[in-house]
Parts: sequence; structure tokens; C-alpha cells
Amino acid sequence: MKRRAILAFMQDRPGVLQKVSMLIRKKMYNVDTLTVCRSRKPGVSRMTITLREDDEARVLQVIRQLEKFTEVISARELDTDHSYWREAAIVRLEIDPEQLDILKKDYTFEILDHKNHDCFFIQIAGSTRMIDAFVAQIGEEHIVEIARTGVAALEK
Amino acid sequence: MLTYRSPIVRLKTTPTNCEDKMTGKELLLRALKERGVRHIFGYTGGAIMPVFDSMDKMAHFNFIMSRNEQGATFMAQGVSRASLSTEDPQVGVCMATSGPGAMNLVTGVADAQMDSVAMVAITGQVATGVIATDAFQESDVVGVMMPICKQTYMPLQADEIERTVHEAFYVATTGRFGPVVLDIPKDIQNQPVAEGYQFNSAAYRPHLPGYFYHPTPAREPLKKAVELINRSERPVIFCGHGVINSNAGALLQSFAEKNRIPVAFTLHGLSAMPADHPLSLGMMGMHGTVEANRAIMNADLLISFGMRFDDRVTGKLNEYAKNADVIHVEIDASEIDKNVATSVAINADVYRTLHVLVNDPMLTSKPRRRWHASIAESRQVMAEDLQQEIAKGTGDDGKLLMKTIIKKLSELTEGRDLIVPDVGQHQMMSARFYNYQTPNSWFASGGAGTMGASLPMAVGVKLARPKERVWSISGDGGFQMNMQELGTIMEHKIDVKIILLNNGYLGMVRQWQTLFFDGRYAGTPMLSPDYGKIAAAYDIPYRKVEKLEQVAPALQEAIEHQGAIMLEFICDPSEVILPMIPAGGGFNDMIVKRPTPARKGGKK
Repeated sequence: MKRRAILAFMQDRPGVLQKVSMLIRKKMYNVDTLTVCRSRKPGVSRMTITLREDDEARVLQVIRQLEKFTEVISARELDTDHSYWREAAIVRLEIDPEQLDILKKDYTFEILDHKNHDCFFIQIAGSTRMIDAFVAQIGEEHIVEIARTGVAALEK
Repeated sequence: MLTYRSPIVRLKTTPTNCEDKMTGKELLLRALKERGVRHIFGYTGGAIMPVFDSMDKMAHFNFIMSRNEQGATFMAQGVSRASLSTEDPQVGVCMATSGPGAMNLVTGVADAQMDSVAMVAITGQVATGVIATDAFQESDVVGVMMPICKQTYMPLQADEIERTVHEAFYVATTGRFGPVVLDIPKDIQNQPVAEGYQFNSAAYRPHLPGYFYHPTPAREPLKKAVELINRSERPVIFCGHGVINSNAGALLQSFAEKNRIPVAFTLHGLSAMPADHPLSLGMMGMHGTVEANRAIMNADLLISFGMRFDDRVTGKLNEYAKNADVIHVEIDASEIDKNVATSVAINADVYRTLHVLVNDPMLTSKPRRRWHASIAESRQVMAEDLQQEIAKGTGDDGKLLMKTIIKKLSELTEGRDLIVPDVGQHQMMSARFYNYQTPNSWFASGGAGTMGASLPMAVGVKLARPKERVWSISGDGGFQMNMQELGTIMEHKIDVKIILLNNGYLGMVRQWQTLFFDGRYAGTPMLSPDYGKIAAAYDIPYRKVEKLEQVAPALQEAIEHQGAIMLEFICDPSEVILPMIPAGGGFNDMIVKRPTPARKGGKK
């Protein structure tokens, strides 16, 4: 199913996140990712929700019902052609330094910490697909733990 | 208003400010008073006691104690619904304590949300110090109410209360109406305001950057709508709850008359214009009239005002009005294109849209003779059967027919009275066979379909419109769900005429069982108590009517009687309300003939 990103600006108040997540549940979606941060304007939060849906009309329904909430100032869909979708991840790896060096050719990441010869903490940022590919290339067996932020999106 | 001060600390020269300061509960009541609230319905308890105490001292409000908090919500709904067409529109207010008290409000709040009824529900909450510790009678009221109401508030300082109440009323009564819940912790009710607290309600404007509604119609879609109307050969107007809520019935009628367009009503659109108007098609949808549903099926244009294309209206969506363009006038943007794709969407207030539309010089009037002739034809489909049935007045078992009783009531009252039905078969009978003449005279629980709504709602309706006669019509099932409110009727001597159509079954479910479950009546038969004794216990006059010739005299007696009276009619359980479109079916599946016992339940 097609991945959709909905960008919403809302008042920074207790209970707003609950309302949004309740709507997503009511509409029978499972949230793919959900990120919330402060916006440029004080008292206004910025939320990016990604979920999977093929039907354009149903996404529009979600957006209209989001906008109906008293606290939601505006909401719209971001499409992949006209916006950047990025996420970041912190990964704890057990891997030989030589093997990690090979990855450096294809991926940009930063080593946060390196101890006991093969234990690395690295941070990586990019598109969801890129991080997926990175994880796949390292191989699950080398990953001790991974923390991903979920999608943050911005219009071009 | 002054708080009580003991004479010892009362020093004329140096008034101690802290003694003079108002507390949260007083601010709450002051704000309610300023908002024109006169009746408060509710039930006290530990966490709301301070407010009740101040209310008593203030001696401004008419407090009506319901016998269950759910009753209070429907009484409040009754006030909101009935008063909105009067010169003094009021918002119904109900109050309950924390925990179980608040939880008993849930059904009525959800019901108000489904039916777009403005209402303010106020609940006490445990003190802020013990919130989220599972304190005695603590429930997460905001968490529970959030998905079923328009907005929730929990003020955490006395200073916030007045502003919050005014914002709550603003939110409840603007755009698409809805219920709002205020959950006020007990310590905040008692908290004095901060030094220098000031609030000017006249100058107050809520700061709601995310709350939009567009009352005025945009020019472009209106132009397109006019074009479609001019082009259309077979248009139908839909009259929804929005017409009632914006008091646009008279405008709708003149719009229909000017353009010779027939009008079909949703359940909540009833009574917006006279039911026997030549252009009226009656109710549409599952139990709508043949003429309304056939007209919709054959229409090339639907002009819908203030409605939401509920599944009970549309039936199977992919078969619904396939060949018609749809003009959708609706204040709530999220309803547009939700169930039915529109050709022209007008996101605006119904009254303002009609006001512009009715005087639009671009509109051309056509006689539409062929269209009206084909509608006249479908009016005849069931007319004779129905007339015969109503005239006969009894079923095969000799018991009374609800249709006949409602028809009789309509004749005797000339269709002028206020009707508050419950939910079920008798509700559809009341919708179909009462000849509504008074604007805004039909008050039903529609979207939520809450059984037991009638009796308490009638109390609120009577308080809002004291000069008009109010009929609460219930079945034996729904009546027993909120029968305890007879206590409220007794205590406050509320003049509600109670009609109980007792057929010993949950009639509507039984009808489905007859048609679709091979006549297996699972969970629908019901033994009733002796209602005569119950009425006597509440000191309410009671008549039992079993014979056809007793129907009119009994109704006449109720009409003439001053005060509450209860009439129990013994009805035929096998009576059905037709036509009927089976749930999930299309308009072609409409059942117009009562199934013979042989093929009982054969289809669908």
C-alpha cells in the first residue's frame, strides 16, 4: 500500500496527541511513524504522521477530520515528489572495523563511540529506504540495538 | 455576588481581599448565568458538591434533579433542541459528580455528538492532588469523553474557569453544534482567584487559531450550483438537521416553491416545513416513503442541505443516486465527500446559503410537469394499502396498530404539537404518520438511536417551550430504560403527555427478525410491569387502551388534561413499518409489501 505523510500544525496542549492518535485508530489505521516537534511559532507543534493507504479519498477524510479538531490549525498531505522525507537512526553494532570501513563508501554516517575493538555506536540520517538498505547491508546479526526517529518531512 | 463572611473578621475600614475573592465554583455559575442558562439538570455527589452549594445560595437557576445522570443529558438536549427556534435559544446544561456520575453522562453526550446538539456537560473531578491515583470515584473523564464530544476542558486554576466556560459555549454553539464537557477538580471549584483577577465577558473573544467554520457561502460553488439547478430536469431537495439547526425551514420552503422542486426529509429534517406540503415527499431512507426513495433513485440532481448521508439514508453506497449530481451544503467540511461524492460542495451555513440562493436572479423556474407526474405516480404505490390498514386500526390478533394511534393523534392535535419519540418502530411510525405543522416540533435520538431518550428529553422540551403541548411517545422497551424519570416529572409537575405503545416486544428488532431471521424472536419478547401501578406510584393519571373505539377519547382526554398523563396502548406485535430498505441494500431492494407468512424471512 502507498505510504502517505500527513503534516499537521496544532496547538501545543495536553491531549492533542491523544486526539490525533484516537482518530487514526478510529479510521482503522496503524500508524507507521509519528513525529512531533515544536514549530517556528511558539505554542504550535508540528506533527508528521505516516500511514499506509491507497485510497486518496480516505486520506482526505483523515485530513478533514484532523482539521475539525479545535486544536489543529492546519493539516495536509505531503507527496514524495514535492517534499523531503527523512529520518535518523542511532545504531549499536558489533562489527569488525574493516567491515564498517567498506560501508563508508556507500553511506554517510558518524561514529559516536567505539569501544572494545568491535563495538560501535553510529548515527545515520537519510530517507527511510536508505536506512533500510543500510540495515540490510550490515546484516541483522551485527545490530545489537537500533533506534529510529520516524519520518520528519518538509516541503520543497 | 458576596461570599459569606463571619462578623468577626469583617472590618469595614480594611476589607480583606482574600475574603472577598470569588472562587472557581462561583465563577462557573456566574459564567453560566451570563450565557443565559436557566435550567440545570443533574445529580450531585462528592466531587461536585461545592458547585451545588453555591448554586443553591445563588438562587438563580432552576435545578432539576434527574433520577439517573443519563436522564439529565437528555433533558439538557431537550432544552437545546426545542429552544433553538424560539426567541430565547438556550444551551442545555447538565451536571454530575466524578466517576460513576460522569460515566452515566457518556451515552447522552455521545448521542448529542451524533445528532449535532449543543450541550454543556459539567462534571466534578477528584482534587488535583489525587488525580491519577485511582482515588474514590475517580474516572478519566476527559479521556473517556474526548472521542465522543466536540471538545473537553479541565481547568486547573480558578482563574481559567470563566474563560473556559465562555469558550465552551462558543464551541458548542458555533459551526456544527455539539456537546462540550468541562471536568473541574474539586479543589479548583473551591480555589479563590488570584490577586487582581479580572474578566470581562462582554469583551471576551475566544482565541482558537485551529477552530474554523465558514458561515458564508463562497461565490464560485454557488454559481455552479445555480447552473446545475437550472440544467436539472429531475431535482430533489434534501432537508437535513442543518435546516432545523439554522432555522432555515421557511427559506427552504420558499426556495422549493419558487423552483418547483420536491423536498425529501432526513429523520432530523422533519418538521422544518409542513409535512403535508404538496412538494413534501416525506422522510427518505430505510423507512422512508416510496415517493421519496423512488424520486431519489430517479433524480438527476440532489440538493442537500445540512445532512451527512448517513447509511440509514443512503443504503448501499455504490448504488446510491448513481445518475445524480450532488450539491452538498454543509457547515462541517469533514462531512463533504465522506460518503457521497459531491459535484458542488458548499461549505457554509444552511440559512445563509439559502438566503442567497432563494433570491438569486440567475435561477430559472421550470414547471417540471413530467417529474411531478412521475412522483405523483409513486405516491400511489402504497397509499391504498396504508389507508386501509390505518382505517382498520387493528392487527390480525385484534390488537391496536401504532399507525392508527399516531394518525389519530395527528388529527386530534392538527399536527401542531411537539413530538418526542423514543427509538424503534414507534419512532418510525411517529416520523411517518404525524402531520408536522409547527416548525421544529420533532425531537428524536437519531444518529445514536438511544432507547430511553424520549421521557427525559420531553422534560427538557416542555421546559423550553412551556406553552406548547409535548408528547413523549415510547415503546415498552425504551420506556423501561429511563422510566425512573417519572420521578422528575412528578416532582416538578411537568406537563408531558406520555404515550406508551406496548406490544410486548422490541418492535423494530422483531420486524427484522420477521423479515430476515426466519421469524426467530431471540431476545425480543419482554414482560412488562403493571404500568397502571407504576403511574399510580408516581401520582400520574393513567389510562389503558385496548380497543379501537377507546383510542380517540383517550387521546382527547390527554389533550384536555392539565399536567402529566400516561396512556398505554396495547399494540399488535406483528405490525411492521413499510416500506423498508434492508440494511446494506439498495433502493431497488425496497420492501413495499408485507411478506406473507409462507415466505416469511425467505429473502436476504
